[in-house]
Amino acid sequence: MPTAEPTKPLENIRNSLVQVIPEAELLDRDYQECGYHLEVRLVMRGMRRMAREMKDRRFFLETITAVDFLEYFHLIYLFTTYNEASFRVMARVKLLPEVRPFSVWTIYPEAIWLEREVYDFFGIRFEGHPDLKRIINPDDVDYFPLLKNFGKTKFTTDIDDILC
Amino acid sequence: MNITQLPYLKDIYAFLGSDVMSGMVGLLIIAAIVPLNVAFLVLVERKVAGHIQLRPGPMEVGPHGILQTLIDAVKLLGKEMVTPQSTDKLIFFLAPIIVVAPAFVGFVPIPFSPMMQVKDVNVGILLIFAFSSISVISILMAGWSSNNKYSLIGAVRSVAQNVAYEIPLLLATMSVIIMTNTFKMGEIVQAQSSVWFIFYQPLAAMIFFIATTAETNRAPFDLVEAESELVSGFHTEYTGMRFSLFFLAEYTNMVIAAAMFTVLFLGGWYGPLFPGMIWFLIKTYFLIFVVMWARWTYPRIRFDQLMNFAWKVLIPFALVNLLLTAIVLKVV
Amino acid sequence: MLNPKTIDDASIDQRVYQLNLGPQHPSTHGVMHLLVTLDGEVVLKVEPVIGYSHRGHEKMAENRTYEQFLPNPARMDYLSGMIFNHGYCMAVEKLCGIEVPRRAEYIRVITSELNRIASHFIGAMDYAMGLGAITPFLWGWDDREHILDLLEGITSYGRFGGVRNDITREFYDGTRRFIDRLRGRFWDYENLINQNIIFIKRSQDVGVITKEVALDYGVTGPTLRGSGVGYDVRKREPYSAYPEFTFEIPTREAGDCLARYQVRMAEMEQSLNIIEQALDHLPPGPIRAKVPRFVTPPEGDCYCAFESARGAVGFYIVSDGSRIPYRIKVRAPSFSNLFVLTEICPGHFLADVIAIFGSIDVTVPEIDR
Repeated sequence: MPTAEPTKPLENIRNSLVQVIPEAELLDRDYQECGYHLEVRLVMRGMRRMAREMKDRRFFLETITAVDFLEYFHLIYLFTTYNEASFRVMARVKLLPEVRPFSVWTIYPEAIWLEREVYDFFGIRFEGHPDLKRIINPDDVDYFPLLKNFGKTKFTTDIDDILC
Repeated sequence: MNITQLPYLKDIYAFLGSDVMSGMVGLLIIAAIVPLNVAFLVLVERKVAGHIQLRPGPMEVGPHGILQTLIDAVKLLGKEMVTPQSTDKLIFFLAPIIVVAPAFVGFVPIPFSPMMQVKDVNVGILLIFAFSSISVISILMAGWSSNNKYSLIGAVRSVAQNVAYEIPLLLATMSVIIMTNTFKMGEIVQAQSSVWFIFYQPLAAMIFFIATTAETNRAPFDLVEAESELVSGFHTEYTGMRFSLFFLAEYTNMVIAAAMFTVLFLGGWYGPLFPGMIWFLIKTYFLIFVVMWARWTYPRIRFDQLMNFAWKVLIPFALVNLLLTAIVLKVV
Repeated sequence: MLNPKTIDDASIDQRVYQLNLGPQHPSTHGVMHLLVTLDGEVVLKVEPVIGYSHRGHEKMAENRTYEQFLPNPARMDYLSGMIFNHGYCMAVEKLCGIEVPRRAEYIRVITSELNRIASHFIGAMDYAMGLGAITPFLWGWDDREHILDLLEGITSYGRFGGVRNDITREFYDGTRRFIDRLRGRFWDYENLINQNIIFIKRSQDVGVITKEVALDYGVTGPTLRGSGVGYDVRKREPYSAYPEFTFEIPTREAGDCLARYQVRMAEMEQSLNIIEQALDHLPPGPIRAKVPRFVTPPEGDCYCAFESARGAVGFYIVSDGSRIPYRIKVRAPSFSNLFVLTEICPGHFLADVIAIFGSIDVTVPEIDR
């Protein structure tokens, strides 16, 4: 299937990101396989610089999400362009528990809600967030639903996968 | 022994033939006709709405849904009249009554036919206008006493709207009145025996129609009861029979407004073949049908656009029309 | 669910007050709560409160197999259920590397586009109803009934590797008839609503979303295309059988409510074109690839984007090699589109807030998942 070919513009982004966040690890990924073209691996720092660079290059923040790997979190940011040469950049930030990443809401106001959702479900607090409170779950609960040691997951109970 | 020779019977005889008696009989007839009228109109509205929306409307109760309003009335009578606790009790109680009473009185000067008129009051037109202004106060009372933000917004909007649209209404009416030199409704109709006034005064007729749609709070001017914004506007807190009184008042006002239009512009009871009253009713109900048709076709105007339209468009046009009429009458 | 805190201004200035629009309200598209701070009739601040229809789909994904999770995406955005179903199947197939037969792709596209038209009927006509024109809403439902009858006839939900049922003769003829009928009906809507002076006056220059604001808030879908940005996932990241069809992406420059409404109406016509082309060139062949009983994707993650009626949806699936997903994240377009409301509403009247909210066309269960 034809797809958006990563050519010159992707090279530009790659180079500028290397300059902006030298400590990051950049990986080229196969779009057909995983849906994004470039993966940027960060360890706890550099997100705001990357977001500023992406905003300058007219990318919009598609989503912010997290994956719980018990000992650490992966905080995932996805950026996409509106432009003709449309491709997707993913930032993967490895977070140890109790670490508070910086909020990117000054660059992307949408992050206000997206980060609230991550906080609501995972308990990851964002530094500098203006209004960090629960958004989807009820206001007064004291658990974080999507953590792997909460509720019914394969780490807590035996899940019997009944045939459908 | 002649019946007129008995002294007390003479008084009774005089009383029976007097104006007071005919007035009372007329009012009783009105009190009987108005609810029937409203029942009929509610059904017509639902059927018209249904057919415009490509569906048949109420079909279950009675043949083609004719008995629908009767059953609705029975249902409403059975509902509990809840008075919320934090309302202003006296005003809450009075508002539906005050909104309905002028509607009944408005029927008094309307000439259904040369002989069917409760009383041909000297200032017939003014009487109807004066009483319809009272209903504005009652809407404000209803909105205020409900102690509810939505009702208050609805009531405040309604007062502003009613006050603004009364002016073009009166100016359009004046254009007709200076042609006929009388406020008596019977005489206004008689002055149209040859040509209906709508041909002499098309602009006034249009302004009157628009202003009267706004006065009776019908779409596209119905933001007072804008369902999608304010739930139900000023009658949100009213239940049961009180709610139905508001409805009664609205439909009765519609009939009075349509009747006034008929008297002022459409020649009242004049028409070939049928007796006068039939023509009057045909014209009145046709106008009501047009108002309903407009309701289900147009979206709602926003409040500021509504006020702009009244003050910047309708009133200047009405004034110009009045001026032109006066000039033409003086010259001709 | 919510304890509203009185805004500080209200105690200082008596004219400022707060109004709750919802959660139960005749015009909100679902259980949606808007806290509006007003000064008289002018809006100062709008704060949407969400979470009333949260059902925990993402948690459900972590203790069900991939097949068992199949009904869930359709419940997230119930108006574009088949589109979500298509997208989820696509995401899992991408992760596993399953090749879908062409006939199945065509059938998926046809059902998705029919669903898109049905959803746009509600989206566009619900906006009209928010303005007070109730009649076009009911006409829209009438047209939707035809679509729903067609879809009910084949119930061809996607399965991994293809679709469940093949197209029947009845569906084929019915869809052809429907396309002709709908092309004639657009004239009715044009006369009733599109040219209506009151409708235009209430929609023009109301709720303008500029390109900058759209970029800031990640707006997608018809809401974005009404502001002049022609971003549609079907063209930018073509998937399924879309590369084989010719269709346009309608955009309007104004960015106000009228532009968004017009984009939706124009998109319905484009969807009709796609369906017609698909029916004309429907390839023969199998409708389902051979897929193991329990789909077991290799370890890794995958993000699959597709275009629903409301905007760009994304399924981010993390797999750990077993038949139960490790994490599924659904990027709902209504989530970002709704947040734009806080930016563009202040300064308008209360009646406009309802209009803007209707024109953004939000489905609340998609936000809450």
